[in-house]
This record gives sequence, structure tokens and C-alpha cells, in this order.
Amino acid sequence: MKKLLISVLLTALIVSSFSGCGSAKSKEAIEKYGSATLKLYNWGEYMGENLISNFEDEFGVKVIIEYYDSNEMMYTKLQSGESYDVLVPSDYMIQRLISDGSLLALDKTKLPNMSNLSDAVMNLAFDPENTYSIPYMWGNVGIVYNTNNVDVADLENEGFAIMKDTKYKGQIYMYDSERDSFMIALKALGYSANTEDDQQIQEAYQWLVELNNTMDPVYVTDEVIDYMMNGDKDLAIVYSGDATTILDENEDMSFYVPEEGTNLWCDSMVIPANAENPLLAYEFINYVLTYDASLDNTETVGYASPNAQVLADVTAEGGLYADNEAYLPRMNYALDEVFEDNLVLKQKLAELWIKVKAAN
Amino acid sequence: MILVPMLLIVLYAFTRKGNDVTTFLFTLENFKKFFSDTIFLEVLWRSLRVAIETTIVCILIGYPAAYFISKSQEEVKMRWVLLITIPTWINMLVRTYAWIGILQDDGIINSILGVFGISPLTMLHTDFAVVLGMVYNFIPFMILQIYTSLTKMDHSLIEAASDLGANKFESFLRVTLPLSLPGIISGITLVFLPAVSSFFIPKLLGGGQYVLIGTVIESQFLTSGDWNFGSAISLIMALIIMVSMYLTRKVDRGEQSETGVL
Repeated sequence: MKKLLISVLLTALIVSSFSGCGSAKSKEAIEKYGSATLKLYNWGEYMGENLISNFEDEFGVKVIIEYYDSNEMMYTKLQSGESYDVLVPSDYMIQRLISDGSLLALDKTKLPNMSNLSDAVMNLAFDPENTYSIPYMWGNVGIVYNTNNVDVADLENEGFAIMKDTKYKGQIYMYDSERDSFMIALKALGYSANTEDDQQIQEAYQWLVELNNTMDPVYVTDEVIDYMMNGDKDLAIVYSGDATTILDENEDMSFYVPEEGTNLWCDSMVIPANAENPLLAYEFINYVLTYDASLDNTETVGYASPNAQVLADVTAEGGLYADNEAYLPRMNYALDEVFEDNLVLKQKLAELWIKVKAAN
Repeated sequence: MILVPMLLIVLYAFTRKGNDVTTFLFTLENFKKFFSDTIFLEVLWRSLRVAIETTIVCILIGYPAAYFISKSQEEVKMRWVLLITIPTWINMLVRTYAWIGILQDDGIINSILGVFGISPLTMLHTDFAVVLGMVYNFIPFMILQIYTSLTKMDHSLIEAASDLGANKFESFLRVTLPLSLPGIISGITLVFLPAVSSFFIPKLLGGGQYVLIGTVIESQFLTSGDWNFGSAISLIMALIIMVSMYLTRKVDRGEQSETGVL
């Protein structure tokens, strides 16, 4: 009996020393969190280069990462019963997950680093009290323009309507997505981007059809980054994070966000209700909020950090994004709206959008 | 197993949204929606036009190419066939992306033109780019089909034709061409079918505004989430394709019986 016990203990010791990289640390981690593996499901190319390895070393754990390229893909995977510890969905998708009851209400005492967050990204409409979500990256939508060929006065006077100014015919890239294009039209007309009013949607539809028929636009998605870096056209609708990259590469380009308001978006970290290792998930989220991890993230990805100190430092004199007009999103501006999750509206707009594009 | 997805499409096309497994709400609404909106008919026409243009260009380039290959020496022949097949080993999407780099405003072609002081041409996001992309991707099918039918041809027939006093042109027109017709016809089916329903070539080379019927179907499934309408359009497309295949077969048979008389 004694022999058996010893051999069992011995095997346990050997097994535990082989599993994980740092034996003592990983043992500690298992004791503390129940398991030393974290399952993370994030967007592709959306993390600081050293973030994961640093986290693994510091806490003696192993991070398994999977990537998605759309919120819908992530949602479908989650619906199929797959379990993850941390997800990074966008605003409207978080709203949907909350109403599905798929998210864990966060215990804020486990997230002391929340105090590092900028108040501009807190308490947004999709999760008013940040009960379920902690901001990861954020930004808005604006116009990248070639400073040599576009008159800034036109941008200031016309806002998004510059996309219908025939002076720039054949010189524009629109973003090929129903929600973003209708946002532009609705904002240009002075309506809310979340409107459900049929009359207003019809007006926006007409606005877009007119643009399509008079301006010779090209509708693109991520290719716009390459095209604008090359300076192929003078005006383009671009997400601020992508605009940061364009402005870094092509110094003729600048970024303008119209005064009539735009879409403000925020990708946030959440813990699904079926997470297997919520304790480690808290640790990870708290780690991402540290100064070093946030800095690593924003320097690698180029999207705006939610960390107030990082934001201040990289945009300050001599900072990495000090001269980049696109990096820092406009803060606390009443007309900037977050998209609300509305499947019926999304389908209606998608149907109208294909008609807009087919109209020529 | 092969039929199940097809049957599901038919089922979706004739039903309304919100079915569960037990109850089906049958409707013709989806078809009405398609035919009552001129925009969808315009898109359909545009798709057919692009596919027809692609097919014609493929024949015009593919036939002489196939003829030339079939006339060349045995080992050279195999080399040519290999050269034509090699591009199809690489993923179509990757090859289409490569064309973006070639056609772009500051792409390869325009850089070369620039050396000679010619101002850059806008080629990307035009009709030209879309047809070019499709011809490039689908022409191997046309060439190989025609080539096969040309090599299978009995050469003594041409000798017979010249014995009977036909000159080279006449014997081509009255012997070679009719006998290679089955190759052309199966080439047409192999080029026309993917061309009429393709959606990523127009999207990448034509830009998002280049809406073809494949794009509409794709968006019904991926963005609007209206699977029923998407299935209905797919079904309409399938019908059009079946009818056109039936017609080409008929032409094929008619021609064959004629050559039999000859």
C-alpha cells in the first residue's frame, strides 16, 4: 500500500513537472485558478507582439488562441457550444450576447486595473455600466483625404456630403458594408445612425443611390488600406485604426471626422457564461489593462488604446502617434453614436445596399 | 447525399422565413420579389452579358491556341498543355489578387507605361478588368476541351478532303471545325457556367459596385440572411443554365447529324 502511494505521488510529481513550461509556477497557477490554460478567441492580427508570451511567463500559464474575422463567425462558433474564457466582440455583438444571456456579469473587484481606462470609452450605450465588458480597442469612422488634391474647406463645409461633391467625381472609395454606408448617409442628413424610421431610411437610400449614380464610386473593404497608401484616389471612408496605418505610410494623406457625427465603435473583452476558467480570464483581462500590455497592443495594431495613460503618452510630443491625425478618436462627442444591435434593421439595410450598388 | 443540398435549396426557395422542421409555409413570394424589381433583372442581364463576353473571348483566343498546339510536335504539345494547366494548380483567389497588383493605378502595367512616358491608365475596377479576370481564370478549360477534340480527330478525313479538291481553308471549315464542335460546346459549358455565377472575381477586379447575380446570392446568404430569397435566385439561375445547356446540346446534335450526311 505504501509503495503504491509513493509511486502514485511520484508519477503525479513527474507528470506535473512536465506539463507546462515552468513547473513551480504552473503548479501555483493550477492551485490559484483551477487550471493553467486560458482559451482566448480574438480577431486576427489584433494583439501586441509580446503580450501573450509575457502573460504566459508572468503567470505560468498556457494561452490557446483562436482567431475569427467577423463578429458573426465568432457568434456562430459560440452558439455551437464551443467554450472560451475570453472573447473580444464589437459593441453591437456584445449587446446581442448580453440579451442572449451568454455573458458573465463581471466581478469588478477582480479587475483593479480598470482604473487605468479612459472615461471616453466607459459606459457606452451597448453596456451602459460596463457590467459585462471591458474595452480593448476603439475608434471611429472618418474620411482619409489627399491633402494635395482636396480642399479642407470643402470637408469642413460639406462633411460626409463631400462624397457627393462632383468636383471629386471618380476620386472616391466607399466602404462596402450596409451599416457603415447608411451611417454616412443618415449622418449627412442629420439623422441617427440607429434610426428605424422608414421615411429616414428611404431618404438615406436615395442619398446613396444619387451618390452611386453621379460619383462613379468604387466600393471596397480592407483593400482600401493598400489603395490609399498608394494614393490611388483622393477620398475614402476608413476606420480610424486603418487610417492610422495609411497616414503612417503616406504623408500626403490626412484624416477628417465630420462634425455631423459618426460611428464610434469599441471592441471589448468579455467572459462567456460557459467559460471553463473564469478566474484566469479575469487575470488576463486585468493584465491587458496594464500600461505595458496596452502600449504593446496599440503600438503593434495601431488602433486607439482604451488606457488613458497610454493614449496620453503615444499622442504627446515625441510619442509614436503624435503627428497622426487619425489615431486619437474624438472623445465624448454627443453626435458620435455606437451601433445598436438590430437584426431586422441590418437585414433591411443589406437588402437596400445591394440595390444601391446594382443601380448603375 | 448529393441531392439533399439541392432539395433543400428548392425547399427554401418555395417557403417563407421562420419555418421549423415540422411546418412549412409555402409561398411564391420569393420569385415575385425577383421578377417585380427591375434591378434584379438588370443584374441578371449584366451577369449573362459578362458571361457571354467571357465565353466569346475564350473561344476567340482558345480555338487558335488549341489548334496551334494540336499541330505542333508531340513533345512540344505536352509542354504547352502543361503550361496551360500549371496556373490551375494555384488557388483562383490568389491568382485574382495578383491581377490587382498588375492592373492597379500604380501597378506593373502602369509602371512600364510610365517608363515610356505614357500617363497611367485606369484598368482596375472596370468592365475590362472583370472580363480579363474571368477569361484568365477560365480559358484553360476551353483550350483543353478543344485541344482534346482536335487531337482525337481522324486525320485521314482531312487528307480525304484535299483529295476531293478542298483547299486548306475549305477543309478546315467543312471538316475540322464541325468535328471539333463538341469540344467547343463542352468548353462553352465549362466557361459559361462558372462565369455567370462567379462573385469574387467581379468583387475584387470590378470593385463592390460591380454587382452580378452571384454577388446578390452571396449577400442574401451572408449579409441579409434571407436564405429563402437567395435560394429562389439560385434556382432561377439553375433553370436558365439548364435551358441554355439543353439548347447547346441540341445545336451539337443537329451539327453532328449534318456532318454525318457529309
